[in-house]
Amino acid sequence: MKRRTWLLSALGATGALVVGWGVMPARSRLGSPELMLKTGGDVALNGWIKIAKDGSVVLAMPRSEMGQGVHTALAMLVAEELDVPMRSVRLEPAGADSIYGNVAMLMASLPFHPLDSEGEHKPLKIKMSEWIVGKIVRELGINATGGSSTITDLWEPLRLAAATARASLLQAAALSWQVPANEITVVNGVMQHASGKSAHYGDMSAAAAGSTPKGVKPKAQQNWQLIGRATPRSDIPAKVTGQAPFGMDIRLPGLLFAAVRMCPMLGGSFDAMNTQAALALPGVTQVVRLDAWGGGTAGLAAIGRTTWQARQAVQAVQVQWQAPKTGALDTAQIQAALLNSLNTESGFTFHEQGVPTQAEKAAAKRIDALYQAPYLAHATMEPMNCTAQVKDGRVEIWVPTQVPQMARAMAAKVAGVKEDQVTVHVTLLGGGFGRRLEVDFVGQAVQVAMACAGAPVQLSWSREEDTTHDFYRPMHLAKFQASLDAQGTVTSLRIKSAGDAITPRWLARTMPALSGPVDMPDKTTAEGLFDLPYGFASQHMSHVATQSGVPVGFWRSVGHSHNAFFSESFMDEMAAASQQDPLAFRLGWLKEAPRYAAVLKLAADKAGWGQALPAGHAQGLALHESFGSIVAQVAQVSVVNGEIKVHRVVCAIDCGTVVNPDTVAQQMESSVIYGLSAALFGQIDIVGGVVQQSNFPSYPMVTLSQAPKVETHIVPSTRHPAGVGEPAVPPLAPAVANALFVLTGKRQRALPLVV
Amino acid sequence: MQLNINGQNRTSTAAPDTPLLWVLRDELNLTGTKFGCGVAACGACTVHVNGQAVRSCVMPISAVAQQKVQTIESLGTPEQLHPLQAAWIAEQVPQCGYCQSGMLMAAAALLDKTPHPSDADIDAAMTNLCRCGTYQRVRAAIHRAANTNTNTNTNTNNKPSLTAQKGGAA
Repeated sequence: MKRRTWLLSALGATGALVVGWGVMPARSRLGSPELMLKTGGDVALNGWIKIAKDGSVVLAMPRSEMGQGVHTALAMLVAEELDVPMRSVRLEPAGADSIYGNVAMLMASLPFHPLDSEGEHKPLKIKMSEWIVGKIVRELGINATGGSSTITDLWEPLRLAAATARASLLQAAALSWQVPANEITVVNGVMQHASGKSAHYGDMSAAAAGSTPKGVKPKAQQNWQLIGRATPRSDIPAKVTGQAPFGMDIRLPGLLFAAVRMCPMLGGSFDAMNTQAALALPGVTQVVRLDAWGGGTAGLAAIGRTTWQARQAVQAVQVQWQAPKTGALDTAQIQAALLNSLNTESGFTFHEQGVPTQAEKAAAKRIDALYQAPYLAHATMEPMNCTAQVKDGRVEIWVPTQVPQMARAMAAKVAGVKEDQVTVHVTLLGGGFGRRLEVDFVGQAVQVAMACAGAPVQLSWSREEDTTHDFYRPMHLAKFQASLDAQGTVTSLRIKSAGDAITPRWLARTMPALSGPVDMPDKTTAEGLFDLPYGFASQHMSHVATQSGVPVGFWRSVGHSHNAFFSESFMDEMAAASQQDPLAFRLGWLKEAPRYAAVLKLAADKAGWGQALPAGHAQGLALHESFGSIVAQVAQVSVVNGEIKVHRVVCAIDCGTVVNPDTVAQQMESSVIYGLSAALFGQIDIVGGVVQQSNFPSYPMVTLSQAPKVETHIVPSTRHPAGVGEPAVPPLAPAVANALFVLTGKRQRALPLVV
Repeated sequence: MQLNINGQNRTSTAAPDTPLLWVLRDELNLTGTKFGCGVAACGACTVHVNGQAVRSCVMPISAVAQQKVQTIESLGTPEQLHPLQAAWIAEQVPQCGYCQSGMLMAAAALLDKTPHPSDADIDAAMTNLCRCGTYQRVRAAIHRAANTNTNTNTNTNNKPSLTAQKGGAA
């Protein structure tokens, strides 16, 4: 065969395969019963649902509980469809099959303007893109807890799995009793028929096994008993008695403890170490060299009989550190470089409408502003840790992680075994906030375990290591230019931002197989700037993606977290320039976005916007959409003895259909405090490659006495459920900054806020 | 070294300068008490020593020998919850839950001293850090437990001790 002919045939065959794959229905997420753990007496009906002998229900749980309440919310969906009480739903860890992959999180990386999907009918380009990306990510099956996506993702598949299980149980009962299935009712997991027949699910599970009824639909909304009602969280009782097991609470026979000390210079290593003094300390067995795993920094670990011994030992090692070959990082230099990029590079255009250049030429007035946000650490209360055992060619890890498959891949890589030789146990997470989307500490734990001759070892970081070796929210700068006509109407808005892109760096370190040769435009750099709901006739938004060399990561609400501060602060600047009240100004530009306007009005009404306040108090507001949810906040602020005091924050949210309203309120409260810590105190500085903040005294958090009263108001909705864990973080900083402007007359254009 | 933990005599082989936290967690497997910062800044490691809330990450065991140490494991059990634990469930306080053992122990010490704390009392006593921002529910739960205490008081005409086992087996 001639080469050309061969190539054409190969192309033709590939094309046929792609087309063939394309027309096949998207991979089902129901899954087969074999995917669930084999436990005595339980009968699996699909990849999600198992029925125990006593009629209780076991749910395969692929998502991590890090405080956001998903273990309860997902159990609620199952309890609803199967008509069982919440206490009858138990969780077991899900395996690694692609049905457990998170489709919604990856779909959300498509950079479409949210207003395009507001109406009943999505545009074809969005439908096509979602269809093809959806198909691909279903094949990839990446299990991750992040992007406020758990309920969005599992809303349909999990309710369908539970409803299908219910239908097969009813079918089995109908056959056994010789009655029509539609005459059987279920109350508290007990199937009943008017003839007097009754049985619980456990009695019918064996007969139901193997059947998968077709055409099953989840319950209609009017029949919901549980969804939409405040439901107590099932993880809370163990969390008030100290019994809930976090990563650092894993205890195994013969467990050793390891402490970590990384090169203080990010990306650095070391030339030599003297371990004599360390090894002389009681209980210390070894000092091990640590390579730089998963984008982290190299260093060393000491192993002891307790964490304390290991920590004493690791500090006693004399080390000659080596600066990174790329040179020492410095935030002041990075900031100057970002400003230069902003002024000299054109960047990637994420959004354009109208003709901004024309509007700018014709402008009667222009306002310009430069905004900036610093690097931030995650500061989960539970520092990074992983427990590992390497024995007989197998690896077992116990880890608080948001990405169990990536943890598994990292463990396999370090130990030099196949992934199927690695068992991952996901513990409860003492906070995640995106930090646990990284697997650097997993690599370290496995490397240490390989030196422990089969003994299990718990590797944990000190608070200082955790703060100084994070994957930081990147520093970003943004330039805003607005044009106004002679009447004070805004005619154009131009935004250009600069800062590191996170997604390509993260893919390269956690999933190298998916990492491309060049960086694709990263939506997270521009989210919160390109996707504004306001109807200015001319708009242009571009981003210059940089590579500072600082390890950057996903920080609760990601790009939105700083971009909303920029855009919603500048909205108030434009309102002032056009001599309008901030609320009226926004509402005026939300004519084509009624859902946004409704959320804003709700928050303003509940907060008493414009009404008299105590002397020295002022209100500021902000509106922001992220992760599919729209949140408005009104912050009531004063300045006392030179300190910013936030008294009250009123939140309104439209997050689509609500599963557990109390969890929504919890997440609004949580996000306000998380956002406020960043707004008031959050700043990471790097000098000579070394992070300057190290523990809570230098990287402070909001405390109880500083916490505002938070109120939550939910807009009723029947739309598909959207995110809840993150969307209330972004509006907090601008709401506070906008109130400060009223109080002080000074516009805050940098975080943290300073008066 | 001889220690008295939750009413039981325990022997530790750790060096006298070892912080109590690590003896509790790594030697005695009482993992309810958490490590957060190691510098007494966050309160995740709060336990009681003779009824006082202390941060065990900076408390050498030599300083607590012969003293009565209480940890979260002795505050109450799932079957017999301490009023604060019941209030914590009623108010749905915990999110990730990691800091909550320390929060509860700090709150228990507060209520022992001040059975009906004002908001200012709570502000002053509850300096523990919570990254999930559970603060307003912590405040509500302390008030709720204080009110439960009042009711118990009225019913039994007895002054109850909020710290379980305090003055009992310990």
